[in-house]
Amino acid sequence: MSDLEVRPGLELPELVKHPTTRQLVQYAGASGDFYEIHYDQEFARSAELPGVILHGLLKTAFLAQLVTSWAGERARLRALEVSYRGLDLPGRPLRCRGVVKAVEGGRVELELWTEDPEGRRTTVGGATLELLEPGRGSQP
Amino acid sequence: MTPESTAHDVVERLRARIGREGAESVHEVEAGHVRRFCEAIGDDDPRWREQAPPTFVVALGAETPELPEALEYGRGWLNGGDRFEYLEPVHVGDTIRVRSRLVDVYEKRGSSGDLLFLVFETEYVNQHGRVAVRARGTRIRR
Repeated sequence: MSDLEVRPGLELPELVKHPTTRQLVQYAGASGDFYEIHYDQEFARSAELPGVILHGLLKTAFLAQLVTSWAGERARLRALEVSYRGLDLPGRPLRCRGVVKAVEGGRVELELWTEDPEGRRTTVGGATLELLEPGRGSQP
Repeated sequence: MTPESTAHDVVERLRARIGREGAESVHEVEAGHVRRFCEAIGDDDPRWREQAPPTFVVALGAETPELPEALEYGRGWLNGGDRFEYLEPVHVGDTIRVRSRLVDVYEKRGSSGDLLFLVFETEYVNQHGRVAVRARGTRIRR
């Protein structure tokens, strides 16, 4: 990413994730979120869900990865905000996408979303990046 | 009481809890924990060997304020949304103090069912006494 390339309308290179039930258990353990709807199929169905579902915050972690891998050391993440609009199930690819909405005063505003195989935006949100001066590195 | 008046009563009782804080907890950002978190989310960026990835702070285990009455509403939890404000990077080896509080409670009634929204704000303060991350999470009872 270079400052010259960052302009409104620019799409971030898409990140496609392939979440599995194994990954949900891994995320439950690493995050400490042991709510059963994320790994116990019977519990999830009794909660009127189609089966175990992805943690919302796992999807946010995917969107954060989309942003930080694109920005690299050239910009610092200042804010990240998401709304969970739909359920996502393991075994289905999840496309993580983003587009530059505005570039102003060294700040870049991004629109972000996850998209399921039917094209539904199951998580929507945005991020604010602060562009760093060349050679300044990533530390404050 | 009818179910409706009970639900209304729960919302009122929860609204009276706005401002309530959970217990403060203190955590060291451990290299192994950050590594396991990165493996779990599938992000192998080498910069996360020394720095925590953006959503890692949720794994530090904030103690949300006790709100037993929330369980009287609906049958389960859903996550509504999350917001993170990043003021300073979080590094492996940092000591982070975490405190969470209830900042809003509201209800949305709809044809597909009623929902109760609980909004929590969590601050992550580093060993220098500076807020590194401020998070706002909306949790839903349905």
